Amino acid sequence: MSSPASTSPSESTVSKDLATPRWLEPFALLGPAGIWLGLMLVIPALLIFELSLVPGIRPGEVVNPSGLENYFQIFREDVYRQVVWRSLGFALGTTAICLALGFPVAYFIAQMVPKKWRNLVLVGFVLPLWTSSLLRSYAWITILRPTGVLNSFLTSLGLPALDILNRPPAVFIGMSYSLLPYMVLILYASLEKLDRRLLEAAADLGANPLQSFWKVTVPQSLPGIAAGCLLVFITGLGDFIDPELLGGASSMTMARLIYNQFLGVTRNWGFGSALSMMIVLAVSLAIALLLKYGDRSSANL
Amino acid sequence: MSSRFVSRYSRRQFLKTSLAALSSTSLAGCGWTLAEVRSDRPQTSNSNELRIYTWSNYIDETLLKEFTAQTGVRVIADTYDSNDVMLATFQAGKGVAYSVVYPSDYAIAKMLDLKLLAALDKSRISGLENILGKFQNSIYDPGNRHHVPVSWGTTGLIYNSEKLNPAPEDWDYLWQNRNTLSRKMTLLSEPREVLGASLRAQGFSYNTTNPAELRKAYEKLADLKPAIATFTTDAWRDQLLAGDLLLAMGYSIDGVLVAQENPNMKYVVPKSGSSLWTDAMVIPKTAPNPEAAYAWINYMLQPAVAAQVTERLFFATPNQAAFDQLSTDLRDNQALFPPDSVVERCENLKPLPQKSEELIEKYWTKLTSS
Amino acid sequence: MSQTAMQNRRTTADTGFDVELREVFKFYGSEPAVRGIDLNIRKGEFFSILGPSGCGKTTTLRMIAGFESPSAGDLLIQGVGMNQTPPYRRPVNTVFQSYALFNHLTVAENVAFGLRLKKRSRREIEERVAESLKLVKMEKFSNRLPAQLSGGQQQRVALARALVNRPAVLLLDEPLGALDLKLRKEMQVELASLHRELGLTFVMVTHDQEEALSLSDRIGVMNQGKLEQVDTPDCIYEQPLTPFVADFIGDTNLFNGKIEGYHPNMLWVTTDRGLKMAVRPCDRGNAPTSGRVTVCVRPEKIGFSETQPTNSQVNWYEGRLRNVMYLGTHVHCQVQLQSGDYMTVRLPNNPAGIPAMDSLVYVYWPYQDCLALTSDLA
Repeated sequence: MSSPASTSPSESTVSKDLATPRWLEPFALLGPAGIWLGLMLVIPALLIFELSLVPGIRPGEVVNPSGLENYFQIFREDVYRQVVWRSLGFALGTTAICLALGFPVAYFIAQMVPKKWRNLVLVGFVLPLWTSSLLRSYAWITILRPTGVLNSFLTSLGLPALDILNRPPAVFIGMSYSLLPYMVLILYASLEKLDRRLLEAAADLGANPLQSFWKVTVPQSLPGIAAGCLLVFITGLGDFIDPELLGGASSMTMARLIYNQFLGVTRNWGFGSALSMMIVLAVSLAIALLLKYGDRSSANL
Repeated sequence: MSSRFVSRYSRRQFLKTSLAALSSTSLAGCGWTLAEVRSDRPQTSNSNELRIYTWSNYIDETLLKEFTAQTGVRVIADTYDSNDVMLATFQAGKGVAYSVVYPSDYAIAKMLDLKLLAALDKSRISGLENILGKFQNSIYDPGNRHHVPVSWGTTGLIYNSEKLNPAPEDWDYLWQNRNTLSRKMTLLSEPREVLGASLRAQGFSYNTTNPAELRKAYEKLADLKPAIATFTTDAWRDQLLAGDLLLAMGYSIDGVLVAQENPNMKYVVPKSGSSLWTDAMVIPKTAPNPEAAYAWINYMLQPAVAAQVTERLFFATPNQAAFDQLSTDLRDNQALFPPDSVVERCENLKPLPQKSEELIEKYWTKLTSS
Repeated sequence: MSQTAMQNRRTTADTGFDVELREVFKFYGSEPAVRGIDLNIRKGEFFSILGPSGCGKTTTLRMIAGFESPSAGDLLIQGVGMNQTPPYRRPVNTVFQSYALFNHLTVAENVAFGLRLKKRSRREIEERVAESLKLVKMEKFSNRLPAQLSGGQQQRVALARALVNRPAVLLLDEPLGALDLKLRKEMQVELASLHRELGLTFVMVTHDQEEALSLSDRIGVMNQGKLEQVDTPDCIYEQPLTPFVADFIGDTNLFNGKIEGYHPNMLWVTTDRGLKMAVRPCDRGNAPTSGRVTVCVRPEKIGFSETQPTNSQVNWYEGRLRNVMYLGTHVHCQVQLQSGDYMTVRLPNNPAGIPAMDSLVYVYWPYQDCLALTSDLA
């Protein structure tokens, strides 16, 4: 910055005026995304938060935030607590199932399927996502019902029939089926990057395949596992079609409860918003956990 | 030098204004109204285009094509699967695209409450005289000033007559035969219908606002619950036909369709009465093309059209002239057109005060979550 | 008892070789990567496998490590057949070219990896990890993550991680390939002293001839899946067995020609471009006495003068100086002979003594300093 000294003061002000100020550059670059996020995410979230502070507000009424009554209601009544636990249970269970089933599949595709077939196999796996979720649930009804495909098969083998439709296992099956492709895709992305040389190094140091898997493959793909679980958990938390169609008479979930608050008989948008904020909170918590994990592993990279 | 001053000043001012705007819409918040519907600003649109918003089973290609052939107006039909979704669409301000909508009775009342509906100019409608007298004066819209009834039906039980003997005749049957029916019956996924059935089974009205009666209705249902496979409006059909279910609570229109598929499936309106529903055509205040809307209503009122639609889509028409044109088969179908003695015992679902609705909602949540 | 007997027999059968390869082949599909290798590596030896990229040297090392299994032939480590033994049951450890450190573990955890798998006691692990980190001068970094280390430091950790297991054989796959020149020289010195200190068998794969020459007890030069020569560094340099070895190791002037006459200790060769020269026959292996040969002369063995050499005991040729390359410690001169051949002559660092470009010069060398090898073209 020695040259400005030679130029006249007026000149320097002019040039400063014409040039975009330094601090503005990041804003200019992030502007479009920021505006998008602001309009589509932040403002709606704030609106919902504000609505959640109005007890019993219905469409057409004046919004006048007055307290946390809606939140207290969630925890005051057993019914809602039950709903919260059921939703968490479905989402967590589905996440566990998807991880248990998805990891071997993703590992197989990423490490054992020849490269030229990989995309085809992946597409095959993702294909179910192209059908509507409603259709998938109805398909599972056909499979799981007492005289359905599954039970005909079991009976033909001389095995006892299973009565799982309209019970929680059916929900886990339906949700896992819908969400497994996401898990597989994310785990695949992470396992495909897995450095084979690290597996060789482990073997070289005396690790048998199983030990290599637990001591190298799993820790190396931890960010992928975390991301996959998070995605499945969040999506599972928002799913109400599978619980409602497959879960039987006791299948009220947070998502369905929220739906009912907005579109059902009572139209209690305030309570619905409070429930929504609870889900946002749960999801944020999950993301925070992921970031914590993610930080550690990215520091390792 | 002065230009710099101005630009900085205006930047600050801009910031201030936008902050103020932001806070007035979302942060400070006092005084804005939730989902205000701007009914005074109709959308203009192509006069050769009519958008209708209806139930998926109320229209088919033939119907739309014939209307276009008669009037030259192209029809775009969007569908919904519950009144609540339709209402939400309007409350979110997205209903302005439609010129004809098909609400069910209590939804008509709600739309009236929200001042969404235009009063009909009866001079522009012909064929109203064919509508049966009992549909001429709705409790939701006295004098039918805002709607034209297009179909009606009941809620009842659809059952497998091969396996259920004796056949169910009243709501009591569910409780009395709960062991036979255990996990082989479904109820509607509609709080008012399900609680209503329980109310009716105990001799109360579908439209009661008495908390004690509502509680009794809930308790009776809670008692039955272990035997209920699930609450569903649609998903029972295949299972009933396959024999996995023995009985489902459903609407007459579905009962008739299932019976068409398998004559062993029978639809019955419980003796002590059930709910009676009507679907109607209305024109929203915001209708972009009221001209075409009237043309559509007149078209649907033509006895020949109404009769054909009944034959093709199996929903009961309230149009006497159309009824007369139906085949005897259909006219004698008691599921589609129950005798007056049955209809007399049925009730329309009335809009309830907020307190009662909240109570119903709470019982429903309890019922479906415990 | 019978097992001990077996082991005894093994010990008695012990030939003093840590690694033995017998007629080992490796095919990838129908593509041969290794074509019949016979190799015995002695206990405590620093052995280098040297060759250009794609010659099969890494495949050979990977077979010893167990990441590949031979398509044919036998592989023995310490006298025990290892063809089907997985890597985790072999008494060898590898230092990988890319180091392959576990980035989710600290330096100490990386080094402890092998010992933990062997379920050693915590105390023993701690002691041995500290000891081997000290050996590679990394004791101060034990709590760092690999990402926080430089390339040279990662290299040391990789070494420590392998050595801590006290393998019978340490395999090194281009261990210094990723380091810059100065660091590489430093590490070479340390590798050499580690080898002296530990007395382990080292098997190193490298394409850097200087590294191989300076570190190894013996070198195996590989070309196109075959071992061309296995010898001590000086023999490899002074007495190459094949034109490939002569050409690959150091600088060489090569002439293709034909044997015209044969005396004990001396051959007469006429090159394809008509140069006649007296040549010492290769005194090892099956030295050619007739037919086509390749004559090789090292640049530093060649004399250089502006006057015609008078000594009749030397081969001498007239040529013109075409190019001079100053290389610091010495000077490379390119001389175009009258036959058209170019020769590289290495002169001591004395730029003042170099004649003008394109001037007439004479190159000469005694017959003992050039070697006739069976031609590749034969």
